[in-house]
Amino acid sequence: MPEKSKSSVVKKLRATAQASAYQKQWFFDLKQQVELGAEFAYLNADVPMEIFRAMDIPFVVNQWWAAICGAKQMSSKYYELLRRAGYRDDLCSYCATAFAESLDPDDRKTDAQGKPLGPWGGLPQPTLAVTRLTCDCQAKIFELFARQHGATFYAMENTVARKVPLDWFDEIEDDWESFYDTDRLDLAVEELKQMIRFLETKTGKMFDINRLAEVMELVNEQELWYKKTRDLIAQCAPVPVTVVDTINAVMQAQWQRGTRWAADHARGLYEEIKALADSGEAAVPNEKYRLMWLGRGIWHDFAFYQRFEQKYGAVFMWSMYLAMGADAYIRHNVQEDPLRALAARYIGLEDFLHMPPWNSRWYLQQAKQNRIDGVVYMVPENCMQAVEGSYFIKKTLEDAGIPVLIFKADPVDARKWNAQSMTELVEDFIENRIINKAGEQK
Amino acid sequence: MELRDCAANSTAFRRLLAAYENREMYLREWKEKGEKVIGVLGADVPEELLAAAGLHAVWIYALPGGNLPLADQYLEYAFDPMVRAEFEKLVDGTYGALLDGIVISNSTDVLIRLYLYLRELKRTEPERALPDVAYIDWLFSRNLLYQQYNEKTLARFREQVEIWAGRSVSDEEIVEASSLCNRRRQALRTLNALRTAVPPRVSGSEMLVAIGSGLFMDVCEHAQLIEQLAQEAASWPELEGVRLYYTGSAQVTTELYQMIERSGYVIVGEDHDWGDRFYERDTNTDLPVLRALVDRYMLREFSSKKSLVAQRVKALDGLVKTAGAEAVLFFTHVYEEPASWDYPSQRESLHSSGIGTIHAAKMHWPLTAQECAELKDKLLAHLQARQEGK
Repeated sequence: MPEKSKSSVVKKLRATAQASAYQKQWFFDLKQQVELGAEFAYLNADVPMEIFRAMDIPFVVNQWWAAICGAKQMSSKYYELLRRAGYRDDLCSYCATAFAESLDPDDRKTDAQGKPLGPWGGLPQPTLAVTRLTCDCQAKIFELFARQHGATFYAMENTVARKVPLDWFDEIEDDWESFYDTDRLDLAVEELKQMIRFLETKTGKMFDINRLAEVMELVNEQELWYKKTRDLIAQCAPVPVTVVDTINAVMQAQWQRGTRWAADHARGLYEEIKALADSGEAAVPNEKYRLMWLGRGIWHDFAFYQRFEQKYGAVFMWSMYLAMGADAYIRHNVQEDPLRALAARYIGLEDFLHMPPWNSRWYLQQAKQNRIDGVVYMVPENCMQAVEGSYFIKKTLEDAGIPVLIFKADPVDARKWNAQSMTELVEDFIENRIINKAGEQK
Repeated sequence: MELRDCAANSTAFRRLLAAYENREMYLREWKEKGEKVIGVLGADVPEELLAAAGLHAVWIYALPGGNLPLADQYLEYAFDPMVRAEFEKLVDGTYGALLDGIVISNSTDVLIRLYLYLRELKRTEPERALPDVAYIDWLFSRNLLYQQYNEKTLARFREQVEIWAGRSVSDEEIVEASSLCNRRRQALRTLNALRTAVPPRVSGSEMLVAIGSGLFMDVCEHAQLIEQLAQEAASWPELEGVRLYYTGSAQVTTELYQMIERSGYVIVGEDHDWGDRFYERDTNTDLPVLRALVDRYMLREFSSKKSLVAQRVKALDGLVKTAGAEAVLFFTHVYEEPASWDYPSQRESLHSSGIGTIHAAKMHWPLTAQECAELKDKLLAHLQARQEGK
């Protein structure tokens, strides 16, 4: 796959364009603030960013920034920089992208035409780099990233769930306390307090528990709109939008969660899709097969998701990006103890994403709700954090009669991607596992 | 294993070698006598608690080679080859009724995943009749909050041990077991002093046998044999070769070490779990028992899997200096990635102290013929460069 080829992806929603425009403007504003000396944190996606929001410490999320770098086709350059610095260039692409960028001497320079050489002119200089110890490599990469930028490194621990509830998604938003081991929650609350003390000392800003409660309520409001949106799309046949729109609209706004803008954007997303649904709009008028995408987005080739629409009427209509907001983030009863409610959100991220049966049962429930005909499941080759029991997920879905295609790919490293062979793989899956099955059933 | 005459003539070494090469020998004897045996996966399982309860511990291991159909079926690509093979043995019934339970520590991410998969297999495929699986969820970051949480984690594991043993385990029994484990550790240190001596009298391969045999035999007997061996080895012939420190993937057999030592080196230390790390740091018997165990297992030297780069740089610098090594071999198996992020910084630090390095990453298990040849070439090139004063 040539990295330099322009994506031919077609997005239709205003909300998607608005999210992209907002995020870009927000990023440039952030750069200005940082240039003026503001604290700026670089966070992994599973860090409880609500604390930073409540303390008005601006932050960029690693996974979002890696996606931007991937979409800007930077991977070849970055991994070559890693190799030259003595690092392996074939490891941990999602987490190592920003570290690799930090090795780029041209990151904040422009070319002869004045065009920035780094993605969006490069990441501003962070003063803090925070991650969780959810992977043996991740903390090392964040530490190296922090060292390169002269930022302070901070890590939070990770514990493994002993409770293995099957259908957690039915009740967790209200009854979250009962779904997690009490000692895990207690520890997470203490970890939050410890991090707050660290941030107060580092930034000179006071943490206000009432402000956190407001942030948490805004997050709930935003995620409830995602729930309505997910449910609406699930009901529609044909669907009014595909993952090409929803991933971008949701992922970008998700990193703004806890703000009024993000909650309003989520409502706008719902209203726009509702209007499309009410007018009978179809994302793919000849929709025949509904596909579920499992795994991270293919950021360097988003058009991939649309390659099966015309030929087969096969629509990627589900991804975790919308559904995780809908089912895994909402935590009611915030006012009693906002820190504990937050703890019950962030410690669960590993559980429901990477731990069977938390993940497998959820995917099955989602596949049923969304009347999925087939699942395409991307498993990264060398990312231990993304190792999540793919056998159990596949078996759970296939035992319910939903075929699953598993393939190996990388979300940001385009060097490992062959669009033609991947397209053929999915086409073969659609023809032999979905269409044939549908024919047999008829 | 090729033996020097001194080792071949040593009763103690031959008995250790027998346990090392026939790793089910003690296990079967114990089961025939109706005693309970717990399989251990991960280097951070407190042997003291199992010993205090009268439970025998054997490390789960696998040898390279052979097909792994169940591992291929259940595990993703990112599991390293050694763990794949261990999983295969656990699931295919090799251990059968030999184990009364399994305990897994979160010493690496891959073991965490292995635990989750075994737990899910027990739930979804009960016909596989896997033994009970316990899990120790250490927090290795060094601060008070985590130190105290670890005590609670160990208290839970103590309860599981008591369930396996069918009786309660007293603090006094834990102190007694800790003293025994400390005695074994001290014996291994005494023996290792003969490896780090100038010149060495014990080779890396011999030390690997001395340590590794203890993973499959009675603690007390092992301690006695090591004490005896340390006395004998004090008069073993001196060894010649460049003093090499090994860092990286665990070596569960002596093949690689022997190949290296035949190439003109003596391995004077290593930081993997089947080597020096096994006997590092005593359990402080003056502390309350669980706090003492947390102290030992939480505060040992940083492993590459649960540490930051700066911690590993400092750790390796110190270990290399203590061993008196002249060069360091970095060796990692394919899909065993964390140490790869340490390597450039570690190499830079070692080079600044005049320590040479040899690097072999993404190695298969067993090594392919080509990898073996390339490693030999690198070892030879390093020797030549040293001779030429480069």
